[in-house]
Amino acid sequence: MPDAPQTTYRPGQAHFFADLDQTPLLGAVDAPDETSAPTSLWKDAWLQMRSRPLFWVSAVLIVLVIMVAVFPQLFSRTDPSFCDLSRSVGDPRAGHWFGFDFQGCDVYARVIYGARASVSVGVLTTIGVTILGVLIGSAAGYYGKWFDIVLSRVTDIFFAVPLLLAAILVMSVFSTHRTVVLVAIVLAVFGWPQIARITRGAVLSVKNNEFVTAAQSLGISKPGILMRHIIPNAMAPVIATATVSLGVFIVAEATLSFLGVGLPASVVSWGGDISRAQSVIRTAPQLLLYPGGALGLTVLSFIMMGDVVRDALDPKARTR
Amino acid sequence: MTTNTTENTVSTAAPLLEVKDLEVAFKTQQGEVKAVRGVDLTVYPGQSVAIVGESGSGKSTTAHAVINLLPGTGKITGGSIKFDGRELVGAGAKDIIDLRGKEIGLVPQDPMSNLNPVWRIGFQIKEALTANGVDTKQRRQKLTDALVEIETTPSGDDLYLGHEGKKALITALGNAGVDEAAVAAADKALQVGSTTRAQAAGILESAGLKDAEAVAAEHVTGASATDRVAGLLAEAGLGDAERRARQYPHEFSGGMRQRALIAMGLAARPKLLIADEPTSALDVTVQKKILDHLEGLTSELGTAVLFITHDLGLAAERAEHLVVMYKGKVVESGPSRQILKAPQHPYTQRLVAAAPSLTSRRIQSAHAAGIETDELLASHADSGAQKRGDNVVEVKNLTKVFRIRGSRPGTGTDFTAVDDISFGLPRGTTLALVGESGSGKSTAANMVLGLLQPTAGVVEFDGQDITKLRGRKAFQFRRRIQPVFQNPYGSLDPMFSIYRTVEEPLRIHRVGDAKAREKRVRELLDMVALPASMMRRFPNELSGGQRQRIAIARALALNPEVIVLDEAVSALDVLVQAQVLTLLNDLQAELGLSYLFITHDLAVVRQIADKVCVMQNGKIVEQGPTDQIFDTPSQDYTRELLAAIPGASLEIGPEVPAV
Repeated sequence: MPDAPQTTYRPGQAHFFADLDQTPLLGAVDAPDETSAPTSLWKDAWLQMRSRPLFWVSAVLIVLVIMVAVFPQLFSRTDPSFCDLSRSVGDPRAGHWFGFDFQGCDVYARVIYGARASVSVGVLTTIGVTILGVLIGSAAGYYGKWFDIVLSRVTDIFFAVPLLLAAILVMSVFSTHRTVVLVAIVLAVFGWPQIARITRGAVLSVKNNEFVTAAQSLGISKPGILMRHIIPNAMAPVIATATVSLGVFIVAEATLSFLGVGLPASVVSWGGDISRAQSVIRTAPQLLLYPGGALGLTVLSFIMMGDVVRDALDPKARTR
Repeated sequence: MTTNTTENTVSTAAPLLEVKDLEVAFKTQQGEVKAVRGVDLTVYPGQSVAIVGESGSGKSTTAHAVINLLPGTGKITGGSIKFDGRELVGAGAKDIIDLRGKEIGLVPQDPMSNLNPVWRIGFQIKEALTANGVDTKQRRQKLTDALVEIETTPSGDDLYLGHEGKKALITALGNAGVDEAAVAAADKALQVGSTTRAQAAGILESAGLKDAEAVAAEHVTGASATDRVAGLLAEAGLGDAERRARQYPHEFSGGMRQRALIAMGLAARPKLLIADEPTSALDVTVQKKILDHLEGLTSELGTAVLFITHDLGLAAERAEHLVVMYKGKVVESGPSRQILKAPQHPYTQRLVAAAPSLTSRRIQSAHAAGIETDELLASHADSGAQKRGDNVVEVKNLTKVFRIRGSRPGTGTDFTAVDDISFGLPRGTTLALVGESGSGKSTAANMVLGLLQPTAGVVEFDGQDITKLRGRKAFQFRRRIQPVFQNPYGSLDPMFSIYRTVEEPLRIHRVGDAKAREKRVRELLDMVALPASMMRRFPNELSGGQRQRIAIARALALNPEVIVLDEAVSALDVLVQAQVLTLLNDLQAELGLSYLFITHDLAVVRQIADKVCVMQNGKIVEQGPTDQIFDTPSQDYTRELLAAIPGASLEIGPEVPAV
């Protein structure tokens, strides 16, 4: 409703004010919105993830792989180490869906039982790498100065050493006692630099926030601030990277076993089976296909999960 | 060619920009959200119009819709936008791209991120010229060739002086026997790449040259792109423009970058310039200089300006017509003066009452009229009762020197951030530390907080030197002084719920048991006027003002005596700012708090502070009671800061419009 013109207005520029009914002042200044449900970073991430098919596909696969790794007997009643040479490279038949390998062992049973070694190496190595990487990376990023210089250079040195080459060298020193734990430790010792670098970067960007200064002025000690405020805020990229690298470590274990420096032949593992299938690759390629396929599917599902997690935890993707 | 519109030609001119019933919607996960709902807006040639509103009011969205630069999923869903008689809604992408830069220029908000750091300034401006197909040497040549035939045409508006042309003109002046002073003056006035033929003729004539027009026509034959770039930068107020054009953005300060962006926005001589919060990222004194310059330049070129701002004072000072937006709608529009004097819509009334620049002006006119101003102030009112005369914080000869690393080891230089400052904070009052960025005010605050060791000098808290406190005593001292910081988005840990955030100080200092702490958190939230139900929420769900209130609650948790407010309200919208200031004042009256208020905004200082220290380059240049500093400033720098408060030219009475 235009005002009665007092001065000369140009057309369309008269003093106008909106009807209050149409433009009510919505409550008090800056009133808090109490209607929406409380959310947090993790809840938001979950809401975002669950709307993505990729998440469900990889989640189902990962749950399946972990079930197989923990309870292989639920999936196969055949003993994977019961081998009968008379069945060498035998065709699939009822109860032995994938046929038999060169030694006459049941391929299906070996694929099922092999999951445990692969998944345990993957999970243990990832845990080790994350602990080492977060400790070293956050210390370097938070304390800075010479501490950072020394730790960053050490990280660079380890980064320069190829993971597999170093693992092959170290593993070949151990001819006995090659266990899942040993393989995981060796991989973790050479695999942490990536996580350390990511953690350092994340810590550097978090530590300049004003809530860190606020915590300082509360009198919280430096390690206290690091543990309470900085590391939790720096974890998102670390978790995303760790999920992806889990797949990489499973591949590394398989490679080591394939090369004969990983787990011993007495331990059923995908890598070992792939290695043994090599000699009959022309006559019986399916022997390579089954453990290789299982390995590929497992790694793929972890990498897909890593992608989804990274997207969901990406601060730039978070709105509101 | 648009020329200056004067008052009497007004009613006949057709609108340059006519926005009718504009609707803009964004697609989100929750469905379509309408950001702009039925906005009407008219801009006449050469006129300046301002859209005023808080963040989220749709003011930027409206402006961006005009040049079809809506971010993300934004879409115009209705209404019409007419520019110079052409309909833009539904126009092809190519037509709108043609329009951008050439007819509608844009000066963006953040000068820091709007220049490409890998290209020289000159290159980027040249890009703006070539992208709009103007003023490349070839085109100029073609135009001059055409002009030779119609040389009698007096219009030289489209031709700029090249640097060879300038040399020739100066020589011509010398040959004609003009005296040296006049030649020097002409040399200064003739700006390569900016002076047009007609202007050159005028300059030559005033220098005393007889056949000025003919000489100008002979030598002002168009400028090369490089010359134009230099001319544009000089127009935007950058001295030594040719050298500046060869520099990179990182060599420029924020103000210089904004000038470069203005040069770019005006490069193709658009008819309309959209200035989206053009100065809100800059220091106050720079802000004023740039706005003054922009105003002069656009009125000279006859460019219409559409300002987008949250500051009503600034808008009223710079624009003749105001459009006030709230929640995507225009709630009031009209001539600036009328809106300031008699705001009709309650939202506008709130804005007029709250804008610090206007309040500051009101206090000034009240003082001039000899009226008591207590009701205009957020503070002062009852702080007198708490004054016990003693200083709770006493800073003596405080100095902080930072070592700046050089390019090689051992080549570092010392930088004195805080240079021998002394001040006292009387108990129960507010002391404002005012200065521009880099003046050392935040460094001083951090030393008072005990977060930074001073190089020299002492900080006494209640008579105790805090720089010497260690261990247990240093920890105990933390309870007595607490900070609130500027950035509402960075001062709360995003992983902590509001409850944990406010409870943390109590937990760290082992105050009470879990139950007592929860009671205290409820009490604190109540103090900052937030419902207890906020406890379970996380900072990302809160607005900037709410986060700042949480930060105040956290600071209050341990019952401190002093709160250091480091630009605590600078990032907030005016209404929210006024609300937080009132809250701070109430808390001061209730709890007897002392505030050390750090800010660059003198308008806010006037409302809250009892005493003011003005800092420049690490030194305190002037200090005294607020009224004294504002009414009789003794330093030029203080005067400059005061003049930079927007709205100085407005006539505002002391009375607050009824709300």
